[in-house]
Parts: sequence; C-alpha cells; structure tokens
Amino acid sequence: MAQVAKEKIKSGVAGAVASAILAILIVVGSRNLNHFDAALVGYTFATLFAAFGITYRYAMWLQRPPTRMYWRRGWRVFLNPRLIGSNVLELARRFFVEFAANRFIFRRGKGRWIAHWLIMWGCLIGAAITFPLVWGWIHFETVPGNTALYRTFVFGFAMQDFPVESAFAFIIFHGLVWASFLVIAGVMIAFRRRMIDHGAVAVQQFGEDILPLLLLFAISVTGLMLTVSYTWLRGYAYDFLAILHAITVILTLVWLPFGKFFHLFQRPAQLGVSFYKDAGKTGEQAKCLRCGEPFASAMMVRDLAVVERQLGFRYELGEAEEKSSRGEEMKTGHYQQVCPRCRRALFGLAQGALWRRALNDRLGEAS
Amino acid sequence: MATIPVDELKIIQQFGPHLAWMAGERLSTSVEPEKLVKTHCCFCGQQCGIQLKVRDNEVIGFEPWEDFPFNRGMLCPKGVKRYLQGSHPDRLTSALRRDPTAPGGFAPMAYTEAIAKVAAEIQRIQSTHGNSAIAMLSGASLTTEKTYLNGKFARVCLKTPYIDYNGRLCMVSAGAANKKAFGIDRTTNPWSDMIGTDVIWVAGSNVAECSPITTNYIWQARELGAKVIVQDPRITPIARTCDLFLPVKPGRDAAVFAGVLNLMIENGWIDRPFIEQHTVGFEQVAEYCKQWTAAKTAEVSGVPERSLRQAAEWWGKANSSFLLHARGIEHHSNGVQNALGTINLVLASGRIGRPKSGYGTITGQANGQGGREHGQKCDQLPGWRDIANPEHRKYIASVWKVDEKDIPGPGVDAYELFRKIDAGEIKGLISMCFNPKVSLPDNNFITRALEKLEFYVAIDFFLNDTARHADFVLPGSLQEEDEGVVAQVEGRVIKINKAVDCPGEARPDWVIVQDIARALNRPHGFTFNSPREIFEELRIASKGGVADYSGITYEKIEKRFGVFWPCPSHDYKTGEPAPDHPGTPRLFEPGSYNPVAKGAGPFYFADGKARFNVADYRVPIDDISEEYPFFLTTGRVVSQFLSGTQTRRIGPLVDQYPEPRIEVHPRLAEKLGIKDGDWTTAETRRGTITLKAMVVTTIRPDTIFIPYHWAGKKSANQLTVAAQDPISKIPQYKVCGCRVRKADAPPDYVGKLEAQQ
Amino acid sequence: MKPEHLHFFIDPNRCIGCQACVQACSECDTHRGTSMIHLEYVERSSSVQTVPVVCMHCEQPTCAEVCPADAIKRTGDGVVQSARKPRCIACGNCVVACPFGVPELYEDKQIMMKCDMCYDRATAGKKPMCATVCPSQALFFGTREQIEQLRPMSMPTNQFRFGNQTITTRVNMMVPRSGAQRPLVNVTDAMDEKPRARTVSLPVAGGGAADPFAEVEV
Repeated sequence: MAQVAKEKIKSGVAGAVASAILAILIVVGSRNLNHFDAALVGYTFATLFAAFGITYRYAMWLQRPPTRMYWRRGWRVFLNPRLIGSNVLELARRFFVEFAANRFIFRRGKGRWIAHWLIMWGCLIGAAITFPLVWGWIHFETVPGNTALYRTFVFGFAMQDFPVESAFAFIIFHGLVWASFLVIAGVMIAFRRRMIDHGAVAVQQFGEDILPLLLLFAISVTGLMLTVSYTWLRGYAYDFLAILHAITVILTLVWLPFGKFFHLFQRPAQLGVSFYKDAGKTGEQAKCLRCGEPFASAMMVRDLAVVERQLGFRYELGEAEEKSSRGEEMKTGHYQQVCPRCRRALFGLAQGALWRRALNDRLGEAS
Repeated sequence: MATIPVDELKIIQQFGPHLAWMAGERLSTSVEPEKLVKTHCCFCGQQCGIQLKVRDNEVIGFEPWEDFPFNRGMLCPKGVKRYLQGSHPDRLTSALRRDPTAPGGFAPMAYTEAIAKVAAEIQRIQSTHGNSAIAMLSGASLTTEKTYLNGKFARVCLKTPYIDYNGRLCMVSAGAANKKAFGIDRTTNPWSDMIGTDVIWVAGSNVAECSPITTNYIWQARELGAKVIVQDPRITPIARTCDLFLPVKPGRDAAVFAGVLNLMIENGWIDRPFIEQHTVGFEQVAEYCKQWTAAKTAEVSGVPERSLRQAAEWWGKANSSFLLHARGIEHHSNGVQNALGTINLVLASGRIGRPKSGYGTITGQANGQGGREHGQKCDQLPGWRDIANPEHRKYIASVWKVDEKDIPGPGVDAYELFRKIDAGEIKGLISMCFNPKVSLPDNNFITRALEKLEFYVAIDFFLNDTARHADFVLPGSLQEEDEGVVAQVEGRVIKINKAVDCPGEARPDWVIVQDIARALNRPHGFTFNSPREIFEELRIASKGGVADYSGITYEKIEKRFGVFWPCPSHDYKTGEPAPDHPGTPRLFEPGSYNPVAKGAGPFYFADGKARFNVADYRVPIDDISEEYPFFLTTGRVVSQFLSGTQTRRIGPLVDQYPEPRIEVHPRLAEKLGIKDGDWTTAETRRGTITLKAMVVTTIRPDTIFIPYHWAGKKSANQLTVAAQDPISKIPQYKVCGCRVRKADAPPDYVGKLEAQQ
Repeated sequence: MKPEHLHFFIDPNRCIGCQACVQACSECDTHRGTSMIHLEYVERSSSVQTVPVVCMHCEQPTCAEVCPADAIKRTGDGVVQSARKPRCIACGNCVVACPFGVPELYEDKQIMMKCDMCYDRATAGKKPMCATVCPSQALFFGTREQIEQLRPMSMPTNQFRFGNQTITTRVNMMVPRSGAQRPLVNVTDAMDEKPRARTVSLPVAGGGAADPFAEVEV
C-alpha cells in the first residue's frame, strides 16, 4: 500500500509540475495574457487539467514494473553511443511509416486504416490550430497601414504577413473546418464498421469504443455549426453554439487521460519498443531449457523474469527461487526459460502422464 | 480417342488443381448470410450435419448444426472448409471437348451441342460394336437418387451390363460378408449404442483420420468404462491411448480373428445358447480355428501372444460389445474373409441385436451405404436386389415398365471393366464421380487402358485426373447444388439439401443423364423433373427388397433427423399400411420380424438364423519376398479425401498436409540410411515412387505407409497391386511387397508442380 | 457477456490432432481468417500425441500483468481478451510470459492476438467454434453438470503449477477422477516426460513393452 501511495504522490507531483509549466508557458507565450482571449478561459482550464491528468497517468503507467523496464531499457538501447546515429535515422523512418502513415493499421484492414488516418490527422490539425490559439501563443493582427494584410504573431513575435483576401488566408482561417471534415469522414467510416462488423460488435464497449467517436463527432459538428452560423446565418444562435462546442471540447479534454484517447500518449512507446526488439534480435538469444532452441532475446527473458518477480509471480523452478531472492542472476531454472512451444507441449505431457498412470492402473485392476 | 490432348502441365495450368482460400465475402466479418441451409458434409460416410451460409448464390461459410443427433455440431477439418469448393476458379461451367490446339487441351462448347455429340458417339459405338461396348462408372458420393438413376440408365437406356461404381474400392468386402452372414448389408446399430458398451474392437480403421466424429463415441464409451482394442499396423491417434493395441502385420487380420476365436472357444467364452438358437455353421468354423493356436497366430500375425490372449479375454468375457472395422481389413484379396472373421467373433459372443451391442463397417464415402443398395453395382438391382434373380428382375422390370428380358445380366467389377477396355471389348466409357486414374491400384495400367478407349465422356464439376483423357466433359453438380438422400454410416437415410444453383452451363448430374437419354432418343424412364420424383420411383423399386425405402419420405427424414432403413410402407407382418413406420435403427432385435425370415428369426435368411462362415486366412498376393522385403500399406490423411479432386483444391486443407510422404520406422530408416525428410524411393513390381521420408516410431518397422490422395508421380496407386478379393473384387490396397531406398535424385516434378498438383 | 453457467473443458489426451479446431477457429468473426488455437505434435517422430491449447483465461493473467501498455483486459465474464488494438505496442512480453504459451504476436499488424473463446459467439449464446466442431470432444463447452455426467472417469481442474507458481484459470482441464478436491496439475513436473508411441501398456510379468513393435524384426 505504501508503495502505491508513493507512486501516487510521485505521479501527482509530476502532474502538478506539468500543469504549472504549461501555465507559465501560457503566461509567457501570450505576453502576460495580453493576447489571451478571455472567452477561451474554459478551454484553458480544461487543458491545464488535461495536462495534469495525462502526466499523472503517464507517470503511474511508467511506474508499473513492465513499463518501467521497457522505458529504461528502451532509452538505454536508443541512446547507445555506438548506435545513436542509426537509431535517429531509424526513428525518423518509423515515425513516417508507422506513425504518420499508420502502416500497421493498413495491414489490419484498409477500412480501418482510412478511418484512423482521417481521424488522426483531423485531430492533429485541429489540435495544432486550437491549442496555440487558446493559449494565446499565436494571434493575427492587421498590418498597421495596410488593412489588406494580416500579420502572424507567435509567442508575441511577429512572423509572416499575408493578404486577407487570399486563398492562403481562406485555408488558414478555415483550418478547423478542414480538420472537422477529416474527422467526420473518419468517424463515419469507423461507426459503420462498429455497426456491421460482427467481430467489432462482439468486443466493443461503449465507453472505450463508441464514446470517443461520439465526442469527436460532437466536436466536429458543433464546430462546423459555428462556422455556418457566422458565415451564412449572421451569427444566429452563435453564443449557444459556442457554449455547446466548448462543452464538447472541454469534456473531451477532461476525459483525455482516462479513456481511449490516452493511447495518443501511450502509443509512441511502440517506437521505443521497436529499438528494444532490434537490440534483442542482434544480441544473445535465450535457448529453451527443454528443446534447446533459441526462442527470444536473452535480454527480454531476463528482464521478464525480473518483472515477474516484481509483480509477485514465482515461476522459478525449485532452488532457483532462493538464488533469485538473493539477487543472483539466474542462468537456469526459471520457467521463463522454456519456449512457448515447449510450454504447450508440457501442458499436454503433464496431463498425458496423469492419464497414463490412471489408464494403466485401470488395466492393472482389470487383469 | 482417350489420350491426354496436351502436356499434362498445360492442363494443370488451365484446370488445376488450384487452391481456393477464404477471400472476399468469405473473409468478411460484416456480411450477413441470406440463408442457412441445413444439409450434410459432402465428404465421408459419417455425413455430419452442417449448415451452409448462402449469399448471392454462393456458399460463403458454415455454421455448425448442433441439433443433428449424429454429430451435434462436430466436424472434421474437411467439413469445416468444405464450403471453399464452391465458386472455385477450377469449376467447370461449360461443356468441354478435347482439343489439342486449345491452351489447356480442352475447348469449351455449348452444352446442348456436347450432349448431341455424346449421344452420337454412343450410338455409333453401339451400332458398330454392340450395346455392351459402352460402359459406365458411377460413384458412391452421389445421392441415392443418382445412383439409382445411373443403374437404371445403364440397363434401360444404354442396355449394357457394364456399370460399376467406386464403392468397389470401398464397401464391397463388408457388403459381401454381411450378405453371407446376415442376409442384410448394414451396420447393425446406431452409433449411440456404443455408449455404455463393455468393449469396442476397432479393426483396421484409422478412426481419427478417416471418420473423426466416431472418435467422440469411442472416447465417450471409454469414459463409461469401455475398453478399447485397436488392430492396426500403425499407431494411429486412436491407437495411441487405446487399452489394447494389436500391431498386426499387414494382410494377417483373418489369422488374428481365427486365433482369438479359438482362444474364446478354448476358454468357454462363447454364448452357446445364442449360437445354437440363432446361428448355423459354428462347428465348421470352430474346427477351422483349431489350427490357430495362440502361438501360431502370434507368429503369423505379428501380434504378441499375450495381446491375443488379452483380446480374447476382454472380448470373450464382455457383457456388451461393439465391433467396428473399415478398409484396413477390407482392402485385401482376403477382404471378405477378414470381415467374416470379425462377424464370427460377434456371433460367437452372441452380442448382436441389442442395445450397447453391435457390429458395423465404417463407410468411406458420403453414400458408401446408400450407394451400394440401389443398383449401380454390376450385379445388383434396386432395393439390394440381385440382378441374376428372376423374381427380382421381374419386379424391377415391372417398376421400370420394361421387358424383363431386356434387362442385361450381371456385369463386371470396376477393375475388370478396365481389363475389358484393355482387351478391346469395351470401346466407350461414361464416368461420373469416379477418378480411377488416382484411385485404382496399379494405375499405370488404368492409364494405358484409358488410352485405348474410342470414346470417353466424363461428368464432373472439376476436370479430375481421369477426365483429362476425355473426349467430352459435361459439367456436373457439386453436392450443394442438388438435393437427394444418402445413407450414412449407421444406415440412417438423410437428406442433402440444395444451397445454390449450378453455375454457368453446369447441370445437376441427373439432368445430364436424362439429357443424354433424350438425345439418344431413348427417353423411356428418364423423364423425371426432380430428385423427389426419382426418389418416389426408388421407393417403389425398393419396396419388398431388403433395403426397403418404401416408407421413407423427404418429410419423414426431415422430421426425424433421418430414417434408418428398412422402413417399409406396409407392415411386414400384417401387410397393413404403416405410414408412421419409424425405420429400423437396430437390426436383429429378438423377436423382430423381417420379410425374408417371416418371423422365423431376426436374421435375413429363410430360417431367420445368422451364418457362421469359415474365414480362411490366405497369404496376401504379392506378399513380401526377398526381392521386395517390406510391406507397403496405403490409406488416408484427415485433411484429404479420396482422390483429392475436391480437397486438393482447398487451400487450408492442402496446407495441413501438402504432399504425400513415406512413413518409415526409424529402425528401418537407419538400416536403409534414410533420414527424416530425405527423398526416398519405394518400388514394387508395378512401379516406383519418390517422396520425402517421414521417420516415425508409430509404424511397424517392416512396413511403410503412403497416403493415396495425390495424382501422377505422387500417386501411391502406381505401386499397389491389382489383386482382388475373389468374392467382393475389392483391390488389395493395404498390402504388397515393396523395397525402399534413399532416392538418387529428387523427382523431376519438383519446382514444376505445386504441392497439390 | 459470456453466459456464467457455461465453461470450457479441455482434455488433450482425447485429442486426435485432426485440426478441425484450427480450421474452425479461423471462421470466427473476432479473428476471421486467422486461427488462434494451437495444435501441435509433441514430437511426431516418436508419437502421434498432439496438444490443443486454447487460452486458459487465467484469473490473474500473467500476460496482462507483464503488458507494459496495459493492453490486455479481462472482461467481467472472466474472458481475457486479445490486446486492445489502440494500446498494444507489439512488444511480445505476453507471448514470452504466458505460462501456457498462448498469445501470438502479429508483427506486420503490430498486434497481439489470442483466443478469446470466440467472443462473438460466446456472447451470442453459442459455443466457441473449436469446442463445437472438435470430433473427439477434447475441447468441450457446456455446463459443469453436463461434463460430470458425460465423463465419470474424469474430473475438471483449473489449478496449474509452474515451478513455484500456481495459476488458477477459467478454462478447466480434465484429469483422472481422484479423491482430491481441487487437483493440481504440475506442468513443470513434465519437463523430463517424453512423448510415447503408446501411453498404455499391458500389465504383464516384467512390465509391458512400451514399444509395441519391439519384437518386429527389420
């Protein structure tokens, strides 16, 4: 219990620090809130909460034995001075192929891939526009003396100028509209699958799988309605719609650390894991205690044995447990060193042996 | 002219076997079937109930049919993936004619034109060489309606005595033995009677691979206390954990049965009162068995004496028992004797015709039972009638509305039919549901015989290996494209239901047969409009015969999950109509009445008594010798079926066991310098084969095993001997002498053919 | 939810290695086209013994505990589900850690998948595909009363010992009936066990020959 409490305190501190940093950045970036839009204060507090929540949960997650092991090992492998160069290149490649293009999802199914890709990029674009605006990090002003030009300010520094009546301006100022188009299309495809795919229907849960889609849909639609209102309806019901939109966004932000969206933060671990696996492949291989065949990286098998012990499992064979409790490294005698195929064989052999004895006993009685 | 039109590789490229996989709607998880069709698997004689998922006239998957009492949803891998045979890229959707200029050696042609050509050729041959110059080969995977129609077609339309079927390679030894011993040819009890029995003896049946569903019955019986005896030269999966294994030398089964019976007699473990009251001929059998002392039996059969004694004790002292046998003891030139040997054990025990006590042969093909009942056998007329029996001929002539004199006499068995082709007596051949080039022994001879045909038409849904010789190929129907009945292993008549229509110009087989009859201008008796109409005539034709279907209707089958024949329309004793006759799940029950014995006893002879028959052990033909010192035995694997025409086209099944291998015991392998996976050559007096070795301790060290489902250079039947049982004419697939050596080089097809081709 | 009163019972000794389960498994909609069940020869050269292995659905699943991504969840009905797709980072910890050797990693799709008792079927009141088709009923799905009545020689257990660790599972294994209340199958005791051509040998003086072909001359 003390352990858990300690972890919670650590995570709480981390969360508070993250929120504080974000708050400071908001103040600094908006030049002492000069460029901060007071109407967006609800959003700001939601992001501050989300920053706390995400960091808290991330920290809790990192303290789980298997995650901690991977986190440490992943960085150590990645930062290996001899490999850092190629690792960075490989990271860039994987970033594009797996993260930007979602290749692994493509391989799970084209429909799923297109849905995920649209939703992901819609959300990323939306977030890239919304957050800097909300935090006052970016704002636009007409160029003094030339009302036909807009000037972009980032963190209070003047950046690019561009004509108000340009395609560029149209694209930029409607960025959220485009983003919502992507999200809505993706959500529709995802919904369709969740309605007709027997497999998905069987395992999906409302909170985990349906609610996120509903939230994204709600954000996109209410956002679009705002655009419709001020573009064509002269601001009809604008205030109401603005509140509605704010509610959907704030709910999503607050929910970010708890639900499916947390995978946004968790998922990049996949990139780290891939380096651990690469290192495992080239390193020493664990040979099965039973069949003698290599079956996994020796590093992984050792790490898992440690993790299992930390988790309270006792897969040591016989006297091996004493050794491990004395902190000695195990060379033999841990069930983890039996390959999965042999584990399945043992499962059958163990039961077969029971039946062999029983059937032979029965024969003995019969004759 | 029935030579292969072009290089076989080109035919294979065009017509397969290619592999079908789950794809499209069959792989989709969001497609709803339009309907579920309750039917049965198209493969083995177990005929497991299955529901086919249908959408857009395509079978897209299956759903277990748990209400069907025999298998209650259970299926083997073939049943699970059977649906992939439909909508197959190799499927024939038009008629073909031999055309050496066409890319695959065959060119499509209009169906009606093909029928006209076929009829013209039949007419030409018959007018030149006589009616008997045309022969027909039929199959036991067809519905009973089709087998009935084919038998009638040969005799009434073609007017030839020469029709036989591929049950000749399957059921005839058991059939002949049953006829001799019981006067009726059917498994005596439903499988559910196994549950609760004391002893189950499985002789020559790789139950796990050839009739997988039966395994559950056996294990279930064991849970309730049964002891299981398995007799086999290989330790098959069921033999691994059985209670007593009799590792018999191939071809020595009759010796085992005689030896065990002798031990039973010596120890008084026989049912004297039953033998006296209900059987004839015991004394001769007992006399014969005297020479089979335990020591001699052990020496001849290769089964240790202590195992023989244990078997005799268990079998002899049991209160209830079930004996099952299959091709392992039947595929012998001594096959009928072997089967009679098992029957003698059963009769001597007196345990037959009761709950929990039965006897049966495990049928091989879908309609292994029904296909041997209604007239496609060379010597048979519908209702298990005898074509040489004047009474029987008269009755069938009246049903067919023909002159009795016009019905030809007995023909010859399928192998003899090829000998007649070879001798030039038979000039033309029609085949349906039979792939003799893979399935008959010494199949190099079969190829030579086929090449001598003036005219050959094959009716099939894929271009099977034999059909490559055809002048014309007519596109027939898959099982799921037609309806009709079959009789499964227990003698239960069940209904195959149609799930989809034939694609393209393909037709239900019975339509094709009738179209030929019409084109020959001999339509009399071939104007049925549906399988149901054929069945209605079959009911009448079978009435009063031993295999009496007259009380069976499609509706009754559906209502009762199948009906066990005999099921008469009129009570045998009173002659009163019996529309609700439930059929006969269990034969020979005490006090039962049958139309042959007329109350004299439960068995189907005039005196109502069963017959003991001396089951004489004979050394197999082409037995091992100095020149050919090892036994070759052949059989099946679970993922393939018969000649593989269907299963070698289903990807997941081919993956499971892609190519044949030679099973060799490590002791033999070591002696020959062969390691697991080595290319190994087996050679007999007929031919040689080179396959990879599979070195396993689960086979007798003096025996090798090759599964037979593959064609061409991978065909085990290049090696087997065409020796046949003198009574049943079944070929001796299960034993011949061979020699084995490490191959000089891999076979030349390596790299050219896919595994299944 | 999988119905509470229905359970999975596995009896590898009954298995005949026909692979009906493997073929049928790929028909399920939660993993269509990919089979999740394992069926292997222990060692074909010396025996036809085969072992079917489904997910045993541990009460405290090692796979889930060692998952760094928290991707493996046990639903309220006791079914340990395949890795949640958004979370699984394809590290393979579960594959190497599972004491029964069940999970499989699909590198191309970057996902772990495993037997989920045919969740699409189980939640619709149907039996899992493998247990429905299994011709030897080595895989059985039904009530405790049914199995008790069908298998008087056997009894179910759900406790397995691996080294010093005891694992309790949702899926039951059938073992010979004995006096024990909750028999425990010591899996790692079988480390030195060899697959045998025949498991049963006749009790004769001097012990039965384990090899039934011992007397056959080559």
